[in-house]
Amino acid sequence: MTPLLEIKNLKTRFYTQDGVVRAVNDVSYTMDSGEILGVVGESGCGKSVHALSMMQLIPYPPGKITNGEVWLDGQDLLTLNEEEMQKVRGRDIAMIFQDPMTSLNPVFTIGFQITEALLLHNDMTKREAKDRAGELLELVGIPGAKDSLDDFPHQFSGGMRQRAMIAMGLSCEPKLLIADEPTTALDVTIQAQIIDLVKKLQEELGMAIMWITHDLGVVAELAHTINVMYAGSIIETGQIHNIYKETKHPYTIGLLGSLPRLDDAPGTELVSIPGLPPDLLALPEGCPFAARCEYRIEKCLIEKPPLVGINGKDHSVACWRWEEIAGIGSK
Amino acid sequence: MAQINPEEFTVTDFAVREHRSLWGDAWGRLISSNTARLGMFIVILFVFSATFSHYFWEYEPKKDLDYSLKLKAPNLIVTEEIPSIHPFGTDKLGRDIFRRVVHGGWNSLRVGIVAVGISLFFGGVIGLLTGFYETVIMTTIERIVLFGITGFLLGMLSAWISNQLIQLVVFTLLGLAAGYYKDILEGKLSRVGIFGLLGALGSAIPAFFMGASVALICGILGLLSGVLLSMALDGRFFSNVMMRIMDMILSFPGYLLAIAIVAFLGPGLGKGMIAIGVVGIPVYARLTRSAVLSVVHKEYILAAQSVGESHGRIIIRHITPNILSPIIVQTTMGLANAILSAAALGFLGLGAIPPEPEWGAMLGDSYRYLTSGAWWAVLYPGLAIMLSVLGFNLLGDGLRDALDPKLRT
Repeated sequence: MTPLLEIKNLKTRFYTQDGVVRAVNDVSYTMDSGEILGVVGESGCGKSVHALSMMQLIPYPPGKITNGEVWLDGQDLLTLNEEEMQKVRGRDIAMIFQDPMTSLNPVFTIGFQITEALLLHNDMTKREAKDRAGELLELVGIPGAKDSLDDFPHQFSGGMRQRAMIAMGLSCEPKLLIADEPTTALDVTIQAQIIDLVKKLQEELGMAIMWITHDLGVVAELAHTINVMYAGSIIETGQIHNIYKETKHPYTIGLLGSLPRLDDAPGTELVSIPGLPPDLLALPEGCPFAARCEYRIEKCLIEKPPLVGINGKDHSVACWRWEEIAGIGSK
Repeated sequence: MAQINPEEFTVTDFAVREHRSLWGDAWGRLISSNTARLGMFIVILFVFSATFSHYFWEYEPKKDLDYSLKLKAPNLIVTEEIPSIHPFGTDKLGRDIFRRVVHGGWNSLRVGIVAVGISLFFGGVIGLLTGFYETVIMTTIERIVLFGITGFLLGMLSAWISNQLIQLVVFTLLGLAAGYYKDILEGKLSRVGIFGLLGALGSAIPAFFMGASVALICGILGLLSGVLLSMALDGRFFSNVMMRIMDMILSFPGYLLAIAIVAFLGPGLGKGMIAIGVVGIPVYARLTRSAVLSVVHKEYILAAQSVGESHGRIIIRHITPNILSPIIVQTTMGLANAILSAAALGFLGLGAIPPEPEWGAMLGDSYRYLTSGAWWAVLYPGLAIMLSVLGFNLLGDGLRDALDPKLRT
């Protein structure tokens, strides 16, 4: 079976006054249809930029995709021009954004905005679109969905707005839904509701979901596979149990180690990874994590480790010493 | 302890709230301000009197002449000497000033609306396009249109020098080709060479019939134009060029430029409107552009893009309604400014043609009689100008406070 999404050597650069920001560096991976992929990493590691690059929505200038292929269902998105991309966006890939407070247009009603998205890609009348918008709002669990159509975004709470955004994203039944930190701006109980909702919708509608987050707890609940990104590169990828149980990369080990745990003894201090992520303006030659890594050897500073498969397709890691480190992570 | 009867209590559902529209809110704030109410009253009075006098009170300025009533002071009762009532007195040709002031209002209103309309339309379109395309990738069609227009403008310059239209065609075609084949040979020297050569030849050969020096100038111009068109121009370039042109217009003192334009077009109220309108374009262009820039990076624009909406739709449906409030305020203030400018042009004899009642022209006609004591011939048109300008300014201030309460200090 051919994968739904195949990204090959994607590179995105921002040409700023201070120099070239290397935001996404040679990212390659595949996604099957119906898969939930979690993309994890700290702020500024290129998670969002790589997703926006796929949709060709990075601000240009200064941003530019310099290399790579993004195959979605047998079509290389990066060869399409803006007109063709406008047809793909929304119909094949939809996106949900981080801040539900600002991602709905304040001057239009919720119903208008969902209807608009529906009318763009479907051949239906306004009446039908409005009915469908009502159904969608019901699907995402907004109480009194039909009446809410005439509400303005400011009349919705944060969680309701994010639900409305999800309804908008689902409106044309995309093959791939990109959720860019959709729960970051919400409080924890609403977070849990949204995660359950997305899980349920995924089972019902069967689309693939890319869930971008810095919250390892959220993806653990949701994702089938995980990409861990660091400084614009994928450093570890694999099935969820492989990542959590057989962690190989020292960065991922550090990330998991820095999570607070319920079974920690009271007074246990949280572990943090020393140092800061590298400046994307001047990436080191070797492994981007080398400067902060306690296992680094000389080779790490000279040559960037490739992503190698450990367990076939199920688990890959970009580290020279993964075999030696492996034992520590599983502890 | 009191018995609680649950049926007596109704639960307030906070999620279901009364609809309060943005405009309703703004109206409430506007009407609650004294100065805004005063401004609104003056503006309504002004518009009402101007419109009604134009449609229901006939006045033929060319036939209005009565030397026997020359420069009479205001009178409210009929006397033997003056058989008619002139509440504002009469001017040097014996014309009733009250009547002329009221009818002059129609001209001021027209100037205001047409001039601001011109500035708002051109300025608004320039501002929207430059602001939007500064960070958004253009589609092929949009690029072709843009390059075609650039080519057309360059061709006009060349065609004007050589007095032939062929350059217009050559450059427009070059522009269209550059827009269409953007990706071919992009940034390569050969592309620059081909376009430069085509531009130089296309411009110089037809001009050669006019003389060698014209051909040389056109050739150099054509070369430069060709090289310019061959560059991979993007929205930022377009924006830069447009805004620098706006800066150029803005660098002239407004009245001076308006006088220059009127001198070029010839006097007349219509020409005056165009002149005042053109002078106002950069103000609106800059305002609109800055408002667009503040909105275009909002997430809802990204969200609109991500569901696949076209650029035209995003500009009209998502950006325009969100930038309306500063533009409404500026438009109201702009009306006052346009009325003032029209009066200034009229005073200098460049606006309305004499018998036409126009406040500025009336002032210009009568100030010489001020020394002989005819204060009324100057006072009333002057008051009319002052009041209408004050009214629009007060209303504009009120609107700004009403539409953007965050700005209030």
